[in-house]
Amino acid sequence: MHAFAERFSTNGAAAELRRAKEILGEDDDVSDVMWGSSGGFGSLVNGVPKFAVPSVPDPTSFLRMHTDDHADPSCRIKIKHGTTTLAFRFKGGVIVAVDSRATAGSYVASGTVKKVIEINPYLLGTMAGGAADCQYWETYLGIQCRLHELRNRERISVAAASKYLSNLVYSYKGMGLSMGTMICGWDKTGPAIFYVDSDGTRLKGDLFSVGSGSTFAYGVLDQGYRWDLTDEEAQELGRRSIYAAGHRDAFSGNTINLYHVKEDGWKFIGNYDISEMHYNGPGGADGYGYDVRVQGRTSANPPPEAAAAQA
Amino acid sequence: MSIMQYNGGSVIAMVGKDCVAIASDLRLGSQAMGISSHFEKIFPMTDRVYVGLPGLATDVTTLHHQFRYRLNMYTIKEEREIEPETFAHLVSSTLYEKRFGPYFIEPVIAGLQKTASGDFKPYIAATDLIGCLNFAKDFVVAGTASDKLFGVAEGLWEPDLEPEDLFETIAQTLLNAVDRDAYSGWGAVVYVLTKDKVIKRELKGRMD
Amino acid sequence: MPDGSFSHPQQRQFNPYSDNGGTILAIAGADFTVIAGDTRQSEGYSIQTRYAPKVFRLTDRAVLAVNGFAADGNMFVKKVKQRLEWYRHAHAKDMPLRAIARLIQTMLYAQRFFPYYVYNILGGIEEDGSGAVYSFDPVGSYEREACRAAGAAQSLVQPFLDNQIYFKNQAAAPNQSHPAHLPLPDVLSIVIDSFTSATERHIEVGDGLEIYVVLAKGRSAQGLEGARGIQELSTKSDGDRVFVIRRELKKD
Repeated sequence: MHAFAERFSTNGAAAELRRAKEILGEDDDVSDVMWGSSGGFGSLVNGVPKFAVPSVPDPTSFLRMHTDDHADPSCRIKIKHGTTTLAFRFKGGVIVAVDSRATAGSYVASGTVKKVIEINPYLLGTMAGGAADCQYWETYLGIQCRLHELRNRERISVAAASKYLSNLVYSYKGMGLSMGTMICGWDKTGPAIFYVDSDGTRLKGDLFSVGSGSTFAYGVLDQGYRWDLTDEEAQELGRRSIYAAGHRDAFSGNTINLYHVKEDGWKFIGNYDISEMHYNGPGGADGYGYDVRVQGRTSANPPPEAAAAQA
Repeated sequence: MSIMQYNGGSVIAMVGKDCVAIASDLRLGSQAMGISSHFEKIFPMTDRVYVGLPGLATDVTTLHHQFRYRLNMYTIKEEREIEPETFAHLVSSTLYEKRFGPYFIEPVIAGLQKTASGDFKPYIAATDLIGCLNFAKDFVVAGTASDKLFGVAEGLWEPDLEPEDLFETIAQTLLNAVDRDAYSGWGAVVYVLTKDKVIKRELKGRMD
Repeated sequence: MPDGSFSHPQQRQFNPYSDNGGTILAIAGADFTVIAGDTRQSEGYSIQTRYAPKVFRLTDRAVLAVNGFAADGNMFVKKVKQRLEWYRHAHAKDMPLRAIARLIQTMLYAQRFFPYYVYNILGGIEEDGSGAVYSFDPVGSYEREACRAAGAAQSLVQPFLDNQIYFKNQAAAPNQSHPAHLPLPDVLSIVIDSFTSATERHIEVGDGLEIYVVLAKGRSAQGLEGARGIQELSTKSDGDRVFVIRRELKKD
């Protein structure tokens, strides 16, 4: 009772503190939960987290001015970008394949990025666009999915999970979030993929590729895609498509991370070095690389039988 | 995006003990998209003078032909082969002619200079795109991976390397630098110049 | 020119950011971690101070290096330390390293629309006794790695580290493989070489070098004894231990 009275009293220490805070405009309110382990994500159960916003007339253009390297290459805060991610649905489930490169301008900032975010044992999210936006909100989505399970005694559907994310990013529309993600999983309806981006787009589909190298990946993917692919064929198609993008696109590369979602949840298939795929291939004998496959037999240097036939 | 990064590519040259090395990547891109992995940027001007031309690909070809033409005129007039230092000044003045509409190339020159006593002294130089010469005693770099090349070279290079050690040093420097540059890579080539032979080696690099 | 009159349109911009240069670096070993940073603080071509620490001890098993805008960096470190102290009061123990990493993510992401202009590298010892390095971008995306350079000379130092730590582009001798982790003396000399190289070729790097070494509990200080300019910072001698080695770098 005493604590309750103190909270609303106009004099006393608590009121003084409250007034001081109003004057200073303290950005993060120091509540009781901060003292415990519920710092960070723990406090999210109280609703969507709060974000500090600069006190300028147009916070969005402020953020763009300092972070968007397309508008201004000399801006200080470089948001990492450049990616190839893909996911497709087939008879045997869902294949998810991504590269692992992050670039800031022309600098390869990292070659070991985990672009598949393991939301829970049945849900995967992919990362394209702002690394932090994807990592943070898909972790947050994981929490909400778990809460859904506890409240409803059943797993969340892929449709519901993706809609949760899409509604969430839509509420920040125009604020500068940047994400292009595929929410992949298996629920009562079977395998499912939803494309969700920060504009608020949400699409259900069989086959998507997102990122700067997506056109290269689509080239291989469309050519090789069939619904009745075997598991091995499907995994090879995912791997081969990301290789194509990693090879041609300067902002994609380093390694491939391959996942396969089946009825009993997702499984990590492996990590493959793209250069290793070029020279030796996944089995170690057949490289994907053009120069490796033709082995020097080009029009400039035809194999002996072709040269003899011409003459 | 800068026009210097349109096609990508990098060159480095290093001094060793009575030898020099010059190396480049093999990528030719169109912004983010890789086009060719056989685009050579290093050209022999004489047996003892090599020039690397990183920058805009159209100017790589144009300048190579321009240098070859001017070099032939020099050789005919003087009736002798050009020395690296003289060639460096030829490069410099050719570029400065286009002071207000430059070629988008930052050349690197490596060669063996004949001394008064008759033996050969290693010579390397680099210029900016309007021909300001930079002579260095250790190494010179140019291209989209120049900052990365500086960092690795500063860590790996040491004075008086023998030809095989110099090859290893320049190869490691180039390969590791271009792997951190989105616009360089796709294979590499190294030339090591000694007084009696030139060694050319193509390196297997990362293809992404 | 803004002259206070309303006769012509005026525009003002709010620019709360500056770049104070410098470089930081961290390398994880099997049972130790090395976290280092230079001590020059600059703005443009001017040196503001030759001694401004960028590396901070958080706990006996965690060290944080902060690079970018010094004002944001110092404030951020202050807030992280405050949260760690609250944790200590609530739980009577230090926060584990991986939890500090997640804490830093949420603290950075809370400023998503008004970011701290800081690149963080967190180094220390994990609960299983292994050395670990976590690197962050300004808005909180993070990843555990074995080594990472950040700041003004990151593009000079990182490819050198790729070569010397990960043995990139080097083939192992026949029937042999590259070591997964390097011994402490090797790591220390690579760190020192990295900074002398960066000092040579980058104007914003130099003056002084602070190398923090975190040793896992029970690991002997072998390879550290006799190091010039070493000082122990641990609060207990029977747990994980923190040392700092201070060196000079060129001042030109």
